[in-house]
Amino acid sequence: MEDNKQINEEELFSFVEYSPEEAERIGYSDYSYWKSVFQSFLKKKAAVALTVIFFALVIFSFIALAIGKYDYKALVPDSKLAFIKPNGEYWFGTDNLGRDYWCQVWYAAQTSIKLAVLVAFGECFVGITIGCIWGYVRRLDRVFTEIYNVINNIPTIIYMTLIALMIGQSFFIMSVSLIAFGWLTMARNVRNLVIMYRDREYNLASRCLGTSIGRILVKNIFPYLISVVILRLALSIPGTITLESTLSYLGLGLGIDTPSLGILLRNARSYFLDYPYLLIFPAVIVSVITITFYLIGNAFSDAADPRNHV
Amino acid sequence: MAKYTIKRLLQSAVTVLIVVTIVFLLLRLLPTDYYFTEDQLMKFTDQQKHDALEAAGLLDSPGKQLIHFYGRLLHFDLGESRRIQHGVAVTKVIGSKFTVSMRLGMISMAISLVIGVSMGIIQARFKDKIPDYIGTVYTIFVNAVPGLVSYSLVLIFGSRVLGLPSMYSTRKATESSILPIVCLAMTSIAYYALWTRRYMVDEINKDYIKLARVKGMSTKTIMVKHVLRNAFVPLAQYIPASLLLTISGSLLVERFFSVPGMGPLLTDAINRYDTNVVQALVMLYASLGIIGVFLGDILMMIFDPRITLVDKGGTR
Repeated sequence: MEDNKQINEEELFSFVEYSPEEAERIGYSDYSYWKSVFQSFLKKKAAVALTVIFFALVIFSFIALAIGKYDYKALVPDSKLAFIKPNGEYWFGTDNLGRDYWCQVWYAAQTSIKLAVLVAFGECFVGITIGCIWGYVRRLDRVFTEIYNVINNIPTIIYMTLIALMIGQSFFIMSVSLIAFGWLTMARNVRNLVIMYRDREYNLASRCLGTSIGRILVKNIFPYLISVVILRLALSIPGTITLESTLSYLGLGLGIDTPSLGILLRNARSYFLDYPYLLIFPAVIVSVITITFYLIGNAFSDAADPRNHV
Repeated sequence: MAKYTIKRLLQSAVTVLIVVTIVFLLLRLLPTDYYFTEDQLMKFTDQQKHDALEAAGLLDSPGKQLIHFYGRLLHFDLGESRRIQHGVAVTKVIGSKFTVSMRLGMISMAISLVIGVSMGIIQARFKDKIPDYIGTVYTIFVNAVPGLVSYSLVLIFGSRVLGLPSMYSTRKATESSILPIVCLAMTSIAYYALWTRRYMVDEINKDYIKLARVKGMSTKTIMVKHVLRNAFVPLAQYIPASLLLTISGSLLVERFFSVPGMGPLLTDAINRYDTNVVQALVMLYASLGIIGVFLGDILMMIFDPRITLVDKGGTR
């Protein structure tokens, strides 16, 4: 036994020469946050496929408008052409006023996506900013909580109706008012996380070393928020499209002259039992957009959570 | 406990009061022409309008009107509807509508609680197997697809295949309420299934369940007696609020099927500037929401005796 051990130890251990390059290579970890996020996202084949489908849909909406036989702006109502089933001339048929449905559907899809993306980023920006202040500054906590309770307790529909009636209905007004009432959820989520992390030891240490508040928020706390923020961002897009279609259906959404998928669905309500194609085309497109975003958002927020890395 | 209840109800009353005040002031921003019925607007001269407004105290400063409004509120006088049903007390307008909404809401809630929770249990029981996938696809579909689209699908299927009426009518109330109830239940089934599954899966992974399994308890007993009971606690919080809010009805479903319920009443009232109705409705919804959350907390305490809302002396 003794002999064996002696031999083994001699064989096992040997001195290593000092080499600066080697030391450099080991000492430096090439972990990069965003690289890991994308790596784990790309591993999910379904999510990648959905992303491709979504972008293909967006690109195709431009192609579709270009190759369509009618220009959206040059559409004229013509009751003689009403309710033509899809054919070679009218690829998606015509609506109750005899207007080409193909260009309406694709134009509406673009409007809805534009609105949803704009609102999602607006909510994100306002929500994160206010959420950080809400969570970090203790004295403001009560004030913001009261504001949150009051705004949250009045049905959104009241605000939207008042805005639609008193200010008007347009793309700009709609996006601003959706942001104005949409930031609440985001701010609340961010606030809860900020409160959780603001007094952790590492932040205490950081504060003692004299780090500025802005740097603590951006560098120390923000990385923890990313996965939640992305999830909210991705879920807000189907949410906005749904809300927009509901509001348009009630006549409180965009103006009649800016078609969105909601307005097309509203017009279809009276006729689709007899002319199902009026429902199917906008419904399929809106469902593809919302379902893909819902799933992409879930997959991406899993990938963005650092606890799931390595 | 009593002290806590009183404190909490007082706090809620303040919140409701603030909400009502804000809505009251917002509604004063509307043009005064809307205080008349269409008929009166045609006939009245400017002088007559002015006199009528002055008599009703509507030309006073907002502060004075607010005090007047609070005064009437103390006598539970919510005023009269001006445009929806001219001269009828607001309470009557609401009273005639809320039973319709409540009936639909209650039935759909009972259905969705039973189906939704059992769906969640089955999904949790067969996690990562076929029943779980089917349930997940259903919840994703209902959550992601706009209500307008899924209701349309229900409508097409119901009226084309099953021959059910596509519009609500009071004469054939039973038949014509099937489709609205299905639409209402569809969404909440997805909600209950999603959260039952989530909470049960969380619970199954806990140590005490593993111990129970090691001790040789049957899966059925573990699922029903331990997992479900603990998983149901967070869900119980949500039930009273949704039960109370069935009174308010669903705006989209009721508009979609032309149900004469509470859902469209609020937008109608705002659209036609019936300010008294709007104030009454907002007050009703805000208080129902707050009371619902409070009852939810109490129900949660009944399900899980470890939860206390009152600070006990000595413990943290």
